[in-house]
Amino acid sequence: MSDYGHELWFGSFITPTARPPQAPVELAQTSERAGLDLVSFQDHPYQSAFQDTWTLMSYVAARTERIRISGNVLSLPLRPPAVLARAAASLDRLTGGRVELGIGAGAFWDGIVAMGGRRLEPAQAVRAVEEAVDVIRGLWATDETGPLRVTGEFYTVNGAKRGPAPAHRIPIRIGAYKPRMLRLTGKIADGWLPSLGFLPEGPASLRAMNEQIDEAASAAGREPAAVSRLLNLSGRFTSGAGGGLLQGTPGDWAEQIADLALQYGVSGFILASDEPADLNLFGHEVAPRARELVQSERVT
Amino acid sequence: MNYGHALRFGLHLPSDADCGAGRLVEVAGLAEQWGLDLLVVPAGTAGDDLEPSTVASWIAAATVSLGLVLEARPATLHPAMLAGAVASLDRLTEGRVELAFRAGPSAAASGTADSVAALGEAIAVVRELWNVLDRGLGRFTGRFYRLAGAEKAAPAHDVPISVDGQDQDLLRLVGLRADEWSTGCDAVALTQGNRGVDEAARGAGRDPREIRRRVTIRGGFGERTGRFTGTAADWVNDLLPLVVEHGVGTIVLDTVERDVAAGFASEVAPALRAAVDAVLPRGWSGARVRRSAVRARRLPGIDYESAPPEMAEVVEPGDPAYARLRSGYLRGGAPGVILRAATNEQVTQALAFALRHPGVALSRRSAGHGVSGRSTNHGGIVIDVSLMNAIEVLDRKTRRVRIGPGARWAEVAAALEPYGWALSSGDYGGVGVGGLATAGGIGYLARWHGLTIDRLRAVEMVLADGSVVRADDSENPDLFWAVRGAGANFGIVTAFEFEADDVGAVAFARLTQDASDLERYLVEWGRAVEDSPRDLTSFVIVPPPRGGRPALAVSRTMVDSSDPETVRARLEPLAAISAMYAQDIVITSYAAVMDNASDDPPVSHGEPVSRSGLLRHVTPQFAAVAARMIRSGAIGWFQLRSVGGAVADVPADATAYAHRDANFSLVVMGGADEVVDRAWARLSPFLDGLYISFESSLRPERIAAAWPPRTLSRLRELKSVYDPEGVFGDNFALTPAANHPGGSTP
Repeated sequence: MSDYGHELWFGSFITPTARPPQAPVELAQTSERAGLDLVSFQDHPYQSAFQDTWTLMSYVAARTERIRISGNVLSLPLRPPAVLARAAASLDRLTGGRVELGIGAGAFWDGIVAMGGRRLEPAQAVRAVEEAVDVIRGLWATDETGPLRVTGEFYTVNGAKRGPAPAHRIPIRIGAYKPRMLRLTGKIADGWLPSLGFLPEGPASLRAMNEQIDEAASAAGREPAAVSRLLNLSGRFTSGAGGGLLQGTPGDWAEQIADLALQYGVSGFILASDEPADLNLFGHEVAPRARELVQSERVT
Repeated sequence: MNYGHALRFGLHLPSDADCGAGRLVEVAGLAEQWGLDLLVVPAGTAGDDLEPSTVASWIAAATVSLGLVLEARPATLHPAMLAGAVASLDRLTEGRVELAFRAGPSAAASGTADSVAALGEAIAVVRELWNVLDRGLGRFTGRFYRLAGAEKAAPAHDVPISVDGQDQDLLRLVGLRADEWSTGCDAVALTQGNRGVDEAARGAGRDPREIRRRVTIRGGFGERTGRFTGTAADWVNDLLPLVVEHGVGTIVLDTVERDVAAGFASEVAPALRAAVDAVLPRGWSGARVRRSAVRARRLPGIDYESAPPEMAEVVEPGDPAYARLRSGYLRGGAPGVILRAATNEQVTQALAFALRHPGVALSRRSAGHGVSGRSTNHGGIVIDVSLMNAIEVLDRKTRRVRIGPGARWAEVAAALEPYGWALSSGDYGGVGVGGLATAGGIGYLARWHGLTIDRLRAVEMVLADGSVVRADDSENPDLFWAVRGAGANFGIVTAFEFEADDVGAVAFARLTQDASDLERYLVEWGRAVEDSPRDLTSFVIVPPPRGGRPALAVSRTMVDSSDPETVRARLEPLAAISAMYAQDIVITSYAAVMDNASDDPPVSHGEPVSRSGLLRHVTPQFAAVAARMIRSGAIGWFQLRSVGGAVADVPADATAYAHRDANFSLVVMGGADEVVDRAWARLSPFLDGLYISFESSLRPERIAAAWPPRTLSRLRELKSVYDPEGVFGDNFALTPAANHPGGSTP
């Protein structure tokens, strides 16, 4: 059992399809109406079937009122951290604090290189993420005196003016699977953002990975609970029970999600679906029921 | 000098972090409300300046018509990412975005010359990624930037790229690559800058008029203390020489004061337009000059400069929209020009343009899905009426609806559904109304409700002489007769009036069955359909068996009933033919079945090869030949659609679609004419007539198969009345009757 006691929240993961361009905008609005807490988009700039994720997020932000917005996850090799920091802070100010950052070290290196990005070895990519987070947080730290100076292996900032300051403390979450990146997540991140489908043994993988994050957090003098645990999910709603994980009624889903929360400490559940009906069930039926179940279990 | 550009007025958006979301949206909203053309979203350099592309996207979502000029400093972003961001925003806003580069100290480049060179490369990278006219991946190798096979993504429109600055190297870059030069408002700087830009442009083979000139001004109203102070009339006096003598086309006001912005928009702008109208021959609205790179792709034989300026859109081979408009659903095309008409008047003008080009192919397009591929061509003119897509209910009691030719049947079905109505169309929602409703329309409700043309009550159309006429049973009844089955020969229909049918919930069955005994399957399917009451219409596709896998028959059947017992009774005979591999039976709406169309533009290459035939019955003899053809691999597509029923209730001479006694329509497609024709020859003894929309062959003998002799001779007489010169000669072209006044020899 590794419940970190975080409050549960629920989100959607919507394909940023370019055709038709308004489709993901409408699904974000559906997510908000369904009562979900967050809408998120993957980021594959080298994929012409997708829109530019940051542009879409900014547009969606103006067309929604309450829901939080995140990349899931943003491709760091193609998004220089200084620009990303200013863009995120700008959008956070415009939305009154609805922006969250999910970042990744980069996947599909051929695509990244085709766009003019630099190919990094896995170890380099981990170090690049650490430097990027330093740059981002450094630019946000407008209460610190003097310009930002970072001399890194991948990112160098020569006395940049800090700012703008975000409207709230924007959480930075990292999509991590391998030991080095998990340790970095424990060391510096506000959250961990893996996808269930990429976990080698499904939910069972979460235990050992959590431990690596927890150890790294403790070693850096942080509380393990300072790193929230999120999970991208996919599944299918059915009318009868008897399916596997997330293959059943909304009630089955709620029980399984409560179990993931209580057993593995996951507090943010993000459903990958472009079906309005799924998003509605997830927001209106699964979320309240799962919250109740976790609440009653934590009380007893 | 003046360059003949349309005058545009804009506002410079204040965007430091103190400027909250509410204020930004308010400024943008006011700019839009005041009728300003554009808003410049600046790339500031202060620490608390908001990031411009984020701000531009935010404002885009809160406005509907305002142009957005996104400033970018190439130093801060990789140009490939910038290209993607701008393309996305331009698509989200349906073409409201412009890109404005400001040179500056570059991370990639040190020194001014290098920073200009880096900017030049950035523009080249952006243009490369937006250039979807040349297929393939984006490549660029420069000193600062590199693309190694990146996917291209075009914006919604030809996004103009402007460059700001005064430096000699920058001016040269503007002349070489930019669409607009942006600077302050100093007259001397304008004179020198224009000279530098124009020289560089001419040196690169460009017309200086391709490049707009933009100034940014500051000022106030009240006491006259210098330029852009005093009254609106004073401002006009200051601005007029900038426009008339220095060719300024875009005037941007940089102010934080609302009253000044309001005065600029509501007093200065109209007064300046009027003043410019008084002194310049083309007035303030100017003339569009295409980039030399666009003009370079023009084809011989077409007088592009005389294209009607009133057209909704004129798309040339160098325009970005060409990539999505050149081809049809099944046929690759490379027309010389696409004239997009949105009104009867525009259709008439487009037709007049085509008539000034004798010998140049003319095609007409509603939505471009046609199987026979007649809606595009190579090197010719396409009149595209896809923008005429309105769907309007004229009378609820008589279920009378008026529909534009460019509407697609999925949209028609969705619009009629709330009334409990439907119009039987075809089997794909992406098909346009115009092509189908002038040929026949063999749809999922055919046996119960007839052909689409059987529900047609009137048309409005543009004839070969450019006149606009109405045709129905009492007015121009001959023409109305001809339009229903041979419409492409007589004009361009610009509005259809249909009487929709009452259609409630329907059953739709998708069955995949064993067809290893193909002959038996075909015969029994045909018998089951013919024996069934009319509320059943079935289409079946038999894909050629591949790689030892079992032969399949894939049928789509609609039953115009939602009663489970009725549906079961109708479907049982079909289901009983052979073993079922997959079945999916739903009670749904006609609109839901039609909602199956992709919105992606067609990317077809090459020529479709399709043959159409109509037949009475699926006899064992026909089935044996058909099965041999399918198994031979000579064809790649074999579909039978049931007709008959209500279709056959209409007398053969009531419309130009005359083959009313057929119970089935057959279409096959393959790779090469000779191969398909050889296979088809064995089938033809069983066939009587064809359906023109499914026939790609241009051989004259197919005309005789399309229309039986009496129909054909009446059509040819009418052709000699309505189109004696054969203006409409691209789609089963009839030769006018020789013995008729105005007729020519066949």
